[in-house]
Parts: sequence; C-alpha cells; structure tokens
Amino acid sequence: MILTPGIMARLAVLCAFVAIAQVVCFSKMDVFGSSPDVALLVVFSIGVLGGSLTGAVVGFSTGLLIDCLLLQQLGGFALTLLSVGYVAGRYRETVGRPTRGAVALLGGALTLLGVLVIAAIQVGTGIDASVSAIVLRDAVIKSLIGAALAIPVLLLVRLVVRSALVDERRGARRTTAPRPVEP
Amino acid sequence: MYRKQVRRRRAVLLLLVAASLTLLSLYYREGNAGPLHGAENVVSTIFSPISSVTDRALKPVRDLVNWFSETFDARGDKAKLEDQVADLRDQLARQQTQQGEAKELSALNELTSGGIVPDGTTPVTARVIGRSPTVWYSTVTIDRGSSDGVRADDPVVAAQGLAGKVTETTPNTSRVTLITDADSAVTARVQPSGATGVVEPNVGNPNDLQLDFLERGSQIAEGQMVVTAGFSTGDLGSIFPPGIPIGHITRATVEEQQAYQRVHLAPFADLRDMDFVKVLTTHGGGGGQ
Repeated sequence: MILTPGIMARLAVLCAFVAIAQVVCFSKMDVFGSSPDVALLVVFSIGVLGGSLTGAVVGFSTGLLIDCLLLQQLGGFALTLLSVGYVAGRYRETVGRPTRGAVALLGGALTLLGVLVIAAIQVGTGIDASVSAIVLRDAVIKSLIGAALAIPVLLLVRLVVRSALVDERRGARRTTAPRPVEP
Repeated sequence: MYRKQVRRRRAVLLLLVAASLTLLSLYYREGNAGPLHGAENVVSTIFSPISSVTDRALKPVRDLVNWFSETFDARGDKAKLEDQVADLRDQLARQQTQQGEAKELSALNELTSGGIVPDGTTPVTARVIGRSPTVWYSTVTIDRGSSDGVRADDPVVAAQGLAGKVTETTPNTSRVTLITDADSAVTARVQPSGATGVVEPNVGNPNDLQLDFLERGSQIAEGQMVVTAGFSTGDLGSIFPPGIPIGHITRATVEEQQAYQRVHLAPFADLRDMDFVKVLTTHGGGGGQ
C-alpha cells in the first residue's frame, strides 16, 4: 500500500467512521446472542492490504477512539486492535496475499484473538465480577461471525483504498495495456 | 534498506504497545479527575454529535439485522410460549372456577346461616353434577344421595334462594326438581303484606314464576319479596321451611274474572347456573355441611 496523504486521510475517515459505527450500531446488533466486531475486521483488512506497520498504527488509532467513545479503560481496545492489525499485516508480509478461505479463517481467528486480548486485559485489571461460561460461547459466536464477514469487509476496505494498492495498480495497468494488433 | 524497514516496524510496534500499556496503567491508577479521563471526555464530547447522527442514520440497518435475529429467536420461542400460554390459561380457568365456586359457597352458607334452616335440619352441601340440556332446566343432578342422608322431598336451596326439592335419590346422587318444573308448587308468602299463595312455574320461561291463589285485594307491589310460607296444619305441612327467599314480584295484575289474584315473580336463584346447592335434610345426613 502506498501511503499518500490522500490515502491516509481516507484511512483516518474510514477508521473514525468504523469506530463510531461499531459503538453506536454494530455492538447493538444481536446476532445469535453476540454482535459482530466490524471494527476489528476493518483493521484486519487494512493489515492484510497495507502490511503490519499500517495495520498496527490504524489498529491502535481505531482502538483508542473506541476506548474514548466508550469512556472505558484507555488502551484496552487500542492494544487489541493493534495486535490484530499487526498480525494480519505480518501474515501478508510472510505468507503472501491470502486466498478467500484464508481470509475467512484468519478473520475468525483474529476475532478470537481480539476477544482473548480484551479478556486478558479485563482480568489483568482486576475485574470484580465472576466470569460465566457464556463468555466462551460469545467468543465462539463472535469468531464465527468474524469468519463470515471477513471477506465482504475486506472487499469493501479494498474499494476504499484501491488506488493505493500496488497489486491493484499492476492489475489495472495490465487491463489497460493496448491489445496486440491482429494479423 | 530492508533491515531499516524492519527496525522501523519493530520500533513503531514497540512504541505502540508501550503506549497502550502505559495508557492502561496510568488510566487504571488515576482517579476520575485525572488528565487521561479528561482527555477521554473531551474526545467523547467532540464525537458525540457525530455519534448521534450516525446512530440515527444506521438505525434502520441495526433494526433490520435485529429483526432477523429476533425472528429467528421468536421461532424457537414460539412452541415454548404456546405451552406456557396453554398452562396459564388452564391455571386461570381453574382459579376463576374456584373463585366462582367459593363465592357461591359463601353465599350459600350466608343464606343457610341466616335462620332459615329450621331446628332438626341438617344442611348438606352438594355439587350440581348434571343438568338438563333443554331450555327448561327443570331438573338437576347432585352428587349427594341417600348415603348422605338425602331423602326425597328434601328442600334444596341455592346461594340466592329456593331451588327446588329432591325427587329421587340413589346412594350417591339425587335428582332435584327445580321450582320451575311443571310439577312444582310451593306455598309462599309475600313480604311484608303477608299475603299467601302458591308459586308455580310459568312453563317455558324459567325466568318467570307465578304466584297464584292470592286472596283478591291483597296489597301487592312490584319488587316485594316472596318467601316460602312453610305452613303446617296437623299432619299436613309444607316440605319447605318458612322464610326461604324465592323471588321478587315483577308484575302484579288484577283479573276481574278470577276469584284469586295472580302475580309474576322472578326467582332469586339463578337456576340455570348453579354449581352448589344445599339440601336441607331432616333424616340425620352423613354428608358434610
């Protein structure tokens, strides 16, 4: 991903919108007793498309904004989404461009990672309440939703940052190349 | 070049992780009036109008998703809720029945404890278990019989007043002929005038009785109460003890050609809707009150 000021501005707007939408909309949705973590999937997509550094920075910023909007422990979501963005970026850098199946699996796995990181932070900061088994069920359902939504979210994010993607530019150049003249 | 990139990446990552952990730690330690809380409040305040607009804008999407989810859940809950509704309906019906029965029994007890039960009479409470299916409603079957001390010709009272008399018994059941039956005739007195006559049914109309053989010129007015007369002359006597309410005068007419006066009355007892009655036994019943 080529980070021009325009692309950075797009990413900033996208992340702000997704953070707000996550807080006011997606978190209030009820899907099989859980809710989709779209902000996490957007960060994951940016990590997959832009690499670990971009993913980590975008993840940290988005997470910090969510923390502020929720008026909760600062740094919790920031650390979580930072981890997700970094891991997704590292996957792209080490393994290469993921297939659709890998995107779905990775989306589900990183959603589970996000849930675990948040849980670890909550436990680490001394949560007082007893933790029920429903937390596990929620984590599993959230991961499945993450796996299901990973591909559409990746496609949408790709649309937003398409002009900055090196692969897309190569593809675009290939498609616009002049055809050989037929004999 | 690549090493430089890796170093930069690691440095940024470490910086971000350190920033996150520092924020977590500082936020956890500081009070609500701390600078981090303040900064958080400022950011939240700045974004709150945008959040509000976004909330309204995305509400249809949220509602749509939740509608699917609720519909899915509702399908699962439907059978369970239907069972619950059926159970609750049964409970309600039982409670309403019990409530109605309790009210009727209470009224019945009040009536029989009001001095209308003569000495030597034992009231036996019975449940109406059978009813004539015709519009006449002239007989009912009760769940007390000869083994409970019920005998033929025993008077039967309902919660509001006289119901009829026992005409047939088995060990465990009895047939009660109501005062609306064509064969019924009860000597009665109009209160407060004291005029006496015979209450007979108006065949075909269970809501209307006739008080016949009233002495001509008796002061009868609508609304006056009619009770059993319970006369006794030597060996001949009424089977009904005196003072049991029968009904109230609804229409008083004077027919010039008749030697006696005839008036119409409505029975107090709702003879079509009785669940409990009391049989006034005089033979030492074995049944309960």
